[in-house]
Amino acid sequence: MMQDILLALPMAIIVLGAFVLMILGQSKKLPLEKLSHVSLLFLLLSLLIQLFTINSYAPHFLFAEIFKESFIVDKFAAIFDIMFTVGAGLTLLINNDYFKSRNYFSGEYFALLLFSVFGMMMLSHAHELISIFIALEIASLSVYTLVGYHKDNHLSSEAMMKYMILGALTGAFFLLGIALIYALVGSTSLTDIAQYVEAHNIQELSLVLVGGSFIMVSILFKIGAVPFHAWIIDVYHGAPYPITMFIASTFKIAIFAIALRLYLVDFASVNSFWNEMLQAITIITLFGGSWLALSQKQVKRMLAASSIVHSGYLLIGISSIGFGSDLAAAAVMFYLIAYFLSAAGAFGILSFIASRSSKQMTYDDFKGFAQRRPYMALMMTIFMLSLAGFPSTIGFLGKFYIFTSAIESGQILLAGLGIFTAFVSVYYYFKLVAMMYFYPSTTPQKVFPLNVSTVIIAMMALIIVWGGIGTSLVPYIPGADGFINIAVDAIKSLH
Amino acid sequence: MSYLLTLIIFTPLFSAIILGLIQAQTRLLRAGAIVSSLITLCLTLLVLYHFDPAGGMQMVTFLPWIESSGMHYYVGVDALSLVILLLITILMPPLYLYMFKERRKGYWYNMMLLQTGVTGAVLSLDLVLFYLFWETMLLPIFIMIGKYGNGMRQYNAMKIVLMTILGSMTMLFSILYIGYVYFETYGHWSFALSDLTTLQFNAETSIWLSAGFLFAFVIKIPLVGFHTWMAPAYGSAPTPAVVILSAIMAKLGIYGIWRFGYGLFENTLTYYAPTIILLALIGLLYYAIRAITEENLRKMFAYSSGSHLSLIALGLFLENQYAWSGSLYFIATHALASAGIFFMIGLTYKHFKTVHISELGGIAQQAPLFTFFFAFFALSIAGLPGTGGFVAELLIIIGAFKYSIYVGVFSALSVLSAMIYIFWMLQRTLFGAPNEECPSYQDLNKRELLIVVPLVILLLITGLAPSLFTPLFEPYVQETLQLITTAVGVHP
Repeated sequence: MMQDILLALPMAIIVLGAFVLMILGQSKKLPLEKLSHVSLLFLLLSLLIQLFTINSYAPHFLFAEIFKESFIVDKFAAIFDIMFTVGAGLTLLINNDYFKSRNYFSGEYFALLLFSVFGMMMLSHAHELISIFIALEIASLSVYTLVGYHKDNHLSSEAMMKYMILGALTGAFFLLGIALIYALVGSTSLTDIAQYVEAHNIQELSLVLVGGSFIMVSILFKIGAVPFHAWIIDVYHGAPYPITMFIASTFKIAIFAIALRLYLVDFASVNSFWNEMLQAITIITLFGGSWLALSQKQVKRMLAASSIVHSGYLLIGISSIGFGSDLAAAAVMFYLIAYFLSAAGAFGILSFIASRSSKQMTYDDFKGFAQRRPYMALMMTIFMLSLAGFPSTIGFLGKFYIFTSAIESGQILLAGLGIFTAFVSVYYYFKLVAMMYFYPSTTPQKVFPLNVSTVIIAMMALIIVWGGIGTSLVPYIPGADGFINIAVDAIKSLH
Repeated sequence: MSYLLTLIIFTPLFSAIILGLIQAQTRLLRAGAIVSSLITLCLTLLVLYHFDPAGGMQMVTFLPWIESSGMHYYVGVDALSLVILLLITILMPPLYLYMFKERRKGYWYNMMLLQTGVTGAVLSLDLVLFYLFWETMLLPIFIMIGKYGNGMRQYNAMKIVLMTILGSMTMLFSILYIGYVYFETYGHWSFALSDLTTLQFNAETSIWLSAGFLFAFVIKIPLVGFHTWMAPAYGSAPTPAVVILSAIMAKLGIYGIWRFGYGLFENTLTYYAPTIILLALIGLLYYAIRAITEENLRKMFAYSSGSHLSLIALGLFLENQYAWSGSLYFIATHALASAGIFFMIGLTYKHFKTVHISELGGIAQQAPLFTFFFAFFALSIAGLPGTGGFVAELLIIIGAFKYSIYVGVFSALSVLSAMIYIFWMLQRTLFGAPNEECPSYQDLNKRELLIVVPLVILLLITGLAPSLFTPLFEPYVQETLQLITTAVGVHP
């Protein structure tokens, strides 16, 4: 019991922090900066406890006497928890300047952010369909509100409406899926479902399969796979930069956390049923995403579209799991880490620039950026290279593992298509690099602002490079091997 | 001794990082770059001194890099890589000397990164490590063409990057597949070349996999049909980048086929040989004709470079001893000659502000030294007897005759076509009446002499005394040919 309290503490701290911030947010006297510090404090506290407990327990259910099998603690969830807290922390730290430069931010912003982190943490721990739905909705509702946070901006409001209505629709699909599964299995616990699925052959499972497909639809919607992608570019574009960064990096990972758990544990014995469907969706996601990304003029929209392509790579990994690849699950996990770092960095720089100007940031606005801000341009280049999967960055290793797992599972065509889309992606990522470096600047070089945001961004750039070339030969600093071990450990704890 | 290679690879990179961190001023940056290039030259000479021609792969460093996936930091040198390594380190100091007055800092940093990239690609024996260097050497070229180039530089930079990366991607696919086959066979991962050569593929897989590699390499060379990036990139790139492109990076395409193509798929490359030989023969003639009609000196010698690289590729796929010795020798001598001629074209631009033949003329009367060196390098490109190019071309043509009389006759005739554009170009630029539009005629100064004289000396030595160099690589050529012929089972 005591141990359970300790293990539940990170989540409890976050939700407590959210309530505290909600109350503090009402105060007119407290400046936003103070509120940001308070939320960082809660996140840090939670992170410390997570790091402290990560190696100290065997997988088991949390408060089994009360919640039965609703929540599980295992290394898989713990690693995702760390990513969520770090993601939220980075969102706050990097955007330190941004919310000061915009007057529409208020105290609730921080409370909502923590609520969504709480929802995501619950999501990664959830081991029962109703809890999954509740967790997903806690996270989503907070994110919907955050997307529409700029009330006076019609783009922001439009994005919120679009996201919320479509999101609610797919939420209904999710519920329908749960109902169908419950109708057959008589339980919503993942353990029971897994046992039931294992015990019966596929002809008797049609309700589970249909229900599973409905759940899959709502997950595919959240990760923005084609043809459920219609919302993604407008939402990313309309949301304030910090929120875009948060959705693109952190929220997306949370969805994959639950997708992996469902796919690897719950439907493990029937997941080959979805193979062809997933393959088809993967292929159109890769092509559709690339097509959209190629046609964008604004960098923010290009990154939004390219995040569809990254979902496509991740789907290659997931579909490889269905074809029986042993490496695929760890590959997906590693890719998530890699994508998290690169996307957070890229959006971080965008929001850093946005906090100093109110331009729309088309490709053309980046002309001469390298001359104005050489260091920022260098870091942006590193993030772009990593997103494009250029070797010597962590993004390359991410793609390396995904494609290898596709080859392992015999999906040569999918691996080939993945590599081809990676080639296409070189164009739209390098285009930004070209804009930054190949044109003269109209304004003189600016001083590198040494503050929290820039230091954090620089550190992320370093981690990305080190994650790509870091070797285990250097003592005390885990290199790329370290990241891989994290991914492999996390997946092992699922079984 | 093994740490020598690591030092050679990473000295420029670390110099660049340190100079960047202390935010060096241009003078210090210049000094640092030159010192780092001299250090690598000395280290390479040390490697040459300790090198045993009959010793196969030597000075090997084999360390785990990313252990769980079987990627290794695996570097080593044999005769093939030593030749290219020597070229890189010999060409770097003159390059820095050429850009001595360059004040844009990014230029210097890019050159240092470029050196690490090409050196690493030549020395690495692990496929993933090789891929890493192979891709990263593209970045400095991308920036240098796009930022410091001329003409449609942004477009041309993007073009070269996209085309070469398209090739790299097919290579990546092959690398992944081979790595996976190794994993399936032995139960653990490895991308080390020495491990992967033990694999046996069935004929169909092997054809596809080697196609992945070949595609990357023929784009880099480039053989005819894969060459559309070449002339624009050469035309737009600043002189140091052109020198590296033509003298080093194009040779790396040949090197890749030699090392990885013949290392992994010796039988299959024999299957591709007729196709490549045909492409190379077409290329020889096609590029020569393009060079004849070209009016821009940079582009003319881009085509000339393509024509000679086709000859090298031809020699490589003839798979006999004369041709292989000739190809290896031609790699070295053509690199020296083309570096020389591109330096001279760069100087032409510096002195006369144009590289268009129609705007030049009568240089000989005003600038005798310039004329001498320009003519010397141009003629050694054409294969003037007495320069190294002649020996190499002769060997390849002998090899071609051994392969088939038609190939022999055709390649001999095509080689002669170089004479046409070289002499016609010389006549129009150096001789005749001085062009009115040329504002000033300056002869070479001392610094510029210092750049070109070593190259001239090296070209003369390689031409007059090839026996000094052949013992260096003869054992290598014999040994690898032996391996291939036993594998294929035909008489050389």
